[in-house]
Amino acid sequence: MLSPTLATLMTSAGESIPGGVTPIPEAAREESLAWAGLILLFPAVSAIICGLCAACRVRNRLPGWTTVIALASSFVVVCLLYGQHQAGQPTVIHLFDWINFSWGDGTFESVRANFALYVDDLSIFWMLFVTGLGTCIAFYATEYMDDDRGKGYSRFFAAMSIFLLAMCSLVLGDNLVMLYLGWEGVGLASYLLISYYYTRQSAIDAGKKAFIMNRIGDLGLAVGIWLIWYNFGTLEYDGLFQALNVYLPIADAGNLPGTEIGQPQLGWSAYLIPWFLMVGAFGKSAQFPLMTWLPDAMEGPTPVSALIHAATMVTAGIYLIARTYPIFWLEMEAGGYALATVGWIGGFTALLAATIALKQYDMKRVLAYSTLSQLGYMFMGLGVVQTFGACFHVYTHAFFKALLFLCSGTIMHGLAGQLDVRRISGLRMAKGWKVVTWCMFVGGLWLAAFPFTAGFFSKDEILAQAFVQKGPGYRALGWIGIVTAGLTAYYTFRVWFRVFGGRTLRIEPGPEHHGDPSSFHPHPPGWRMKSILILLTIGCFAAISTGYWGIGHWIKGMVDHSSAAWGMPLHWEEGDIPFFGGDPHWTMYFVSGTFGLIGLAFAAYFHLINRRSAERLDELFKRNFITNLIPRTLERKWYLDEVYNALVRIPTYLSAKFFYLFDRLVIDGLLVGGIARIPMFLGRVFQPLQGGALQGYATTMAGGVTLVVVWMIWVFLQKGGG
Amino acid sequence: MEMVEKLTLITPDILLFVGAVVVAVLGLSGSRTIRQAVPLITGLFLIGSVVVTQFVYADPAALESSGLLFPKIGGYVKSLTGVVGLGLVALGTGTVDRAYERAVASGSAAFDPLRVVRGEYHAFLLLSLAGVMLVCNATDLIWLFLALELSVLPTYVMVALSRNNRRANESAIKYFFLGAMSTALFLYGFAMLYGATGSLNFIEIRDVLATQAAGEAGIAPFAVVGMGLALLGIFFKISAVPMHVYAPDVYEGASNPMTGFLSIVPKIAGFVAIIVLCGTFGWAGREQITAAGTTMVQEGLPAPISAMLWMVAVLTMTLGNIGALLQKSIKRLVAYSGITHSGYMLIGIVAGTENGTDALLFYLAAYSLGNLALFGVLAGLTRMGQDIESFDDLAGLWRTRPRMATMMALAAGSFVGMPPLIGFWGKLMVFIAGVESGHVVLVCVAAVNSAISSWYYLHLAGVPVVRMSTPRSESVTNGPRMAPRLVAVICGVGLLVVPVFTTPLYEFARTSMRYGELEEPAARSVASPTTPGRELDQG
Repeated sequence: MLSPTLATLMTSAGESIPGGVTPIPEAAREESLAWAGLILLFPAVSAIICGLCAACRVRNRLPGWTTVIALASSFVVVCLLYGQHQAGQPTVIHLFDWINFSWGDGTFESVRANFALYVDDLSIFWMLFVTGLGTCIAFYATEYMDDDRGKGYSRFFAAMSIFLLAMCSLVLGDNLVMLYLGWEGVGLASYLLISYYYTRQSAIDAGKKAFIMNRIGDLGLAVGIWLIWYNFGTLEYDGLFQALNVYLPIADAGNLPGTEIGQPQLGWSAYLIPWFLMVGAFGKSAQFPLMTWLPDAMEGPTPVSALIHAATMVTAGIYLIARTYPIFWLEMEAGGYALATVGWIGGFTALLAATIALKQYDMKRVLAYSTLSQLGYMFMGLGVVQTFGACFHVYTHAFFKALLFLCSGTIMHGLAGQLDVRRISGLRMAKGWKVVTWCMFVGGLWLAAFPFTAGFFSKDEILAQAFVQKGPGYRALGWIGIVTAGLTAYYTFRVWFRVFGGRTLRIEPGPEHHGDPSSFHPHPPGWRMKSILILLTIGCFAAISTGYWGIGHWIKGMVDHSSAAWGMPLHWEEGDIPFFGGDPHWTMYFVSGTFGLIGLAFAAYFHLINRRSAERLDELFKRNFITNLIPRTLERKWYLDEVYNALVRIPTYLSAKFFYLFDRLVIDGLLVGGIARIPMFLGRVFQPLQGGALQGYATTMAGGVTLVVVWMIWVFLQKGGG
Repeated sequence: MEMVEKLTLITPDILLFVGAVVVAVLGLSGSRTIRQAVPLITGLFLIGSVVVTQFVYADPAALESSGLLFPKIGGYVKSLTGVVGLGLVALGTGTVDRAYERAVASGSAAFDPLRVVRGEYHAFLLLSLAGVMLVCNATDLIWLFLALELSVLPTYVMVALSRNNRRANESAIKYFFLGAMSTALFLYGFAMLYGATGSLNFIEIRDVLATQAAGEAGIAPFAVVGMGLALLGIFFKISAVPMHVYAPDVYEGASNPMTGFLSIVPKIAGFVAIIVLCGTFGWAGREQITAAGTTMVQEGLPAPISAMLWMVAVLTMTLGNIGALLQKSIKRLVAYSGITHSGYMLIGIVAGTENGTDALLFYLAAYSLGNLALFGVLAGLTRMGQDIESFDDLAGLWRTRPRMATMMALAAGSFVGMPPLIGFWGKLMVFIAGVESGHVVLVCVAAVNSAISSWYYLHLAGVPVVRMSTPRSESVTNGPRMAPRLVAVICGVGLLVVPVFTTPLYEFARTSMRYGELEEPAARSVASPTTPGRELDQG
């Protein structure tokens, strides 16, 4: 049985090269589209203006509005580009020469990474929500950051512009170097934004943690990029895909490239590429084991969290794998387990993060872990060869997660930094909080994958494919996903019911409130924040439409017209496994829907209808040491930080101490001290010559001249005068 | 007619001679005001000669009949010399103390050459610079010899006069005797070269050598050894191994402004002389028009010369580095650093290509700029009326004089070759030329040496920032006049800004080596804007 993905693929693919693989079309070169460079130029200019504002200590809202206008202009240009774009035809838009070394014409004879854009369906799709959501979040931030005007306002928006600039370079770049540039730029900007409140120790630590964890992933990406050049001789996507066009049909026919005479050779290191790229993706998209930086990243201002979690940063890993999917595919055809690893790491992270989210009390922290969990789903989708599902989930997730974060931001803003779900109750009854209440409700429903919401459709695409695709334990992976769906519904609505539900309004002001707690009144969000919340809610509803067949599944079309789906064989051995007596893509709606509703029901019972029972259950657990371990462990995030501390930090610290001593004693003491003695020794030998006496100098010079002339004559005798 | 045109090209040099005479006379004037105006007049003559250079070298007729191997090289080198000379004059005025001058005039203080304006110092400075300029115009061995001597002889006196100190006299004596010895050496080489080729004229020597190389027997051994000895003699000027031993002692003995002079000016003269001498063998791959009117491709340096230069370059950069590593005295450090840089610059000669010499000329400018910035700081500060000499004097400079410490760091960064400072581009171009010509090992040695050198350059940049000030360093004050500090700031900022104009500067160096070889003679005589020789002057 063929999955719908493949059915579409078969009909949409125009021609197939022998061997039954959809070829990756060669990119068209469009010089006339050079205006697309404005997408990168606007944020760059905005970053410079904001930087100048910071330097000139501008106190008004100029930096904020500059950023909003720049990002909105970028979004408009992206839309125009989308209008110009021909589906299924990648285009390379050359802007200017950047890195261009060549010692020949062909592959392996040049290192070329020009400042050019690779525009295909996937990159446009990504750019649409990156710039679109970026604009919304920047607009929201103009109000959210108002209190910081004159202090960090310009700095914030400058970093935000850099963030978006880097993300645009990452997504639109025509080569892996530009991707890497953006990759690092995103890392830098996130560091700047996470540790925005640089006087707070926790913010500094979180910034450093994010940066260092990302660096580990970046190393993997760098090695991966180098291996790509080493094996395929090019860093440009177009060249890479054309090279892969040669190898993929051979791999699909069941042979490893190079095993038969006359076939193009491919070294073993080519099969290592996916593993290195994977490390990069896991670092940036916060998957196990490089995941702990993301929950801490909420130390930054809330719009930053929304930006990182929804649109800009964490989706980069998904993009990287979707973009280089043919390489993963090649490795899988060669019998490797890179994709399976991606899937399993994703599934494992999804479950792990969901369990942690169950017992967190900080609203933003719950959302952060939900992001990890949802990203796990996306990686699972990539792993089970459902790139469309993964990208679709990125898209829907971007909307509802931005919405949820911005809602929690208004709460944090209005309640003087209060985010603890135990200390807020019945917020829906407060004056001016209606919009937030129901927007967050919508976001929650979407996150919980309530039936017929956008999150429901995108998640089910992934889960169903796990039961269809043949792979190591993919069925179990599918069940992990289904259980996680139930947990997701529970923890999401635990937050919503706790904060907005309840019979009475009860709020304890947060740490930023100074004064008598009884006099505290939450101040509701202003028009700019509200309008963005409403806009995003509308966006969430609009995202549903893509979930119904027939209404035009434009996302499916876009993903399938890109390297995320090209290069795959037209049909492959697929398990014909009925799931609850039907096509998994159909029955999954019922199964996962049921699990979600069960989770929702539990949340409703414990946190809305009968809150006392939740407390009693807690006490029941606490009575026994063994059972007490469960909530404790979840609350402590499975002791991941502590484990990392023991496994990485302490050995690093000890080895640093050791090397310090080694440096002091051996290098400084023996080597440097020893080497330093050589000139002294030489000096003593030549002391008669170097003593400052004129005769000594003259002798040295004469001796030197003699030696040099002898050397010259010797060379003359060896080689002649020519 | 030809004589007149030959004289046209040396107008800037003649101007400096005139300046030297004027300054020497004015320096003896009884009026203190006139005496005090001497540096200003020196500067005006230098500016005049730079300006005149631009016009003279734009004249194709003069270049056409110059009879020079590289007619246009003077355009670049004379401009560089003039500009560097301006900086050096400013450095020299830095230690002049008006109050002390009055005291000397009234007889209440002993004469101290460091602290009063001296006409003869400036006269000698102009004479030496004129010598450097004349090196560019050398048509034959005798001229080259005289020009080189003219560039160095005044410096012997200048070192001795630079301060009232036994060490200055000692170093002047050393400098003079060792210099004389090196002169003997290259004169000996010249004689052999004349014997082997039968001519003193460079163009004739070039043609004879080319004929010999094309013949069965190859280049005469006599010519090769003669060239080797001549080069070894000139190595004294650029303080390359084995003629480098004098440098640390002499630099240490001279006053700071004079050390700055020694570290730059003789190097320019020496490298131009080396370019001219090696140019008689031609650059590999360069097309030339022989006296007979036929075109031929030059072969480049013969193997023994190339091997000798290679060995000298490696030894120079390595020994210079080793010497610099453990220095406590800044002036000795600068001496060794200058030796090391000569080693890097020699790569441009070893490369034996046009790109190599272009890179070398560029490097000379970069090196001069860095040294001016460094000596601007050193000459701009003083410790109880004396030069500052050791690292201890600089400790904590950052806290009291952040601007000077910054300029010091910029200069050090440029010497290390830290992008985007100008030193980086200089090194990059020299290394590229080396790799292009196949001397990968040499460039690797240079790169390793460059890495090692960062140890002491970072020391130079770091001591003012990191070390706490001591009573000794707290007694360091600004010098009496601000001119050297101004030079330091201008050159330090220049280290950052000039890289923006890397391409025009490099083009300047490039065209100055190219004139008259690439295009047909007919095209040359027509002063059309498309002639490469003209492009520069219009751009």
